[in-house]
Amino acid sequence: MADRFIHRYWLMRALYLLICIFLIFMHLLPLDTRPSNWTGPDLVLALTFAWVLRRPEYVPVLLIAVVALGMDLLFQRPPGLWAACVVMGAETLRNRAPMLRDLSFFAEWASVASTMVLITLAYRVVLSVLMVDQAPLGLSLMQLLFTLMVYPVVAVASHTLMGVRRASPRDLDANGRRI
Amino acid sequence: MAKDRGQGDDYTGPLKRLLLGVVLLCLLGLFLVWRIDSPRVERFRAQVVDRVVPSFDWAMAPVTGAVNILRDFQSYQRMYHQNQELRRELQQMKAWKEAALQLEQENARLLDLNNVQLDPRLTFVTGVVMADSGSPFRQSVLINVGARDGIMDGWAAMDGLGLVGRISGVGRNTARVILLTDTSSRVPVTIQPSGQQALLIGDNSAAPPVDFIENPDQVRPGDRILTSGDGGVFPAGLLVGQLAEDPGGRMRLRIAADYERLEFLRVLRSYGHEDLTDPGQLIAPVQLPQEAAPEGAQAVEAGNG
Repeated sequence: MADRFIHRYWLMRALYLLICIFLIFMHLLPLDTRPSNWTGPDLVLALTFAWVLRRPEYVPVLLIAVVALGMDLLFQRPPGLWAACVVMGAETLRNRAPMLRDLSFFAEWASVASTMVLITLAYRVVLSVLMVDQAPLGLSLMQLLFTLMVYPVVAVASHTLMGVRRASPRDLDANGRRI
Repeated sequence: MAKDRGQGDDYTGPLKRLLLGVVLLCLLGLFLVWRIDSPRVERFRAQVVDRVVPSFDWAMAPVTGAVNILRDFQSYQRMYHQNQELRRELQQMKAWKEAALQLEQENARLLDLNNVQLDPRLTFVTGVVMADSGSPFRQSVLINVGARDGIMDGWAAMDGLGLVGRISGVGRNTARVILLTDTSSRVPVTIQPSGQQALLIGDNSAAPPVDFIENPDQVRPGDRILTSGDGGVFPAGLLVGQLAEDPGGRMRLRIAADYERLEFLRVLRSYGHEDLTDPGQLIAPVQLPQEAAPEGAQAVEAGNG
């Protein structure tokens, strides 16, 4: 029983990594090199937060940090800062997850929204304090908004397609105890 | 009750918190090191990209190709129309070609008459675009030539039509080209025919503004923009594009290169021009007149002897 469970969560960790690599790959495709005046959602962020709130053990800190740092390096962002922001946001939500488990989806959404706004703000403030060139404000606000809008979709998709559900009282943790 | 669970009730709690602390410290430390000594970290980044992106290449090329085929398919619908247009343009081009050939011959004759020494032609390495920057905030592409092919930081990259950007970050097999539209791109340019110097400033829009024009009255939309070679940034005289005026009255660049489809880029080898570091000698005759006379006499004597 415990063996099966451990297998499952290593499987889900691998799945998370695969999805992230796929999303990075899609971003890197050289389809259109003209600058665009709109931007899509940050799907990796939405996915990370959705999974952290549902099954914290599927997305350990180290995995989040590695993925976020890899994106920083590949996407020409200041390396480390956005990754640190994402890790902090994810850990905040991880600590909040047991409380949110009993509340409605809207409470969860609001919690995610506040976290995203805070980390975006922190990111921009640190960059401007250290006088680093940063993206236009409009674009990052648009990205934030899109990410928030796409969050329920990501949550539903991970619930139905990938079976990332909230732990119910019947489930057991890795050691076979009740969560 | 809920709070208890939030605290984590088993012995791994403190360990996890320690791990989190270490991870955060590493990430923020990396960021600070980047801020203080960015070339070193950027070199590390180039190495990471060099390792990661070519391993995507087997999938990237077919997917990009497939999407482009789909797009081309859409353009079949207006093929007839396009064909007509191309024929018309071809006729115009033939006339221009004739004119250009005649001018080239004339130019060659005149240069020959004057014995003019021109700069040697630039040679180039051609690379294929592998990936773009991946985020809407940065404008750059990755090409598949790198240090192995002798690419160096700062070289100019062009497509067949005009300047595309400059090399910034070289890995072994890959190099990154910062496009003219990136917010960190600054290129000194000359506006022809008036010869005004200006600066091209990327601002993440499709038509970057041209600023610091010496005398804005002397330029008008439609003027050609070439690189000026100031500051040794680029070789002089590469075509960048045309000047255009936006509704706000600001001068902008209409880029000559086809940014919609960047596929092959040529990287110009330019090892910089020689610098004159010496201030030079005093400008005076090598020998003063009164010394010249005896020496001349000696020479005559020597000749006689």
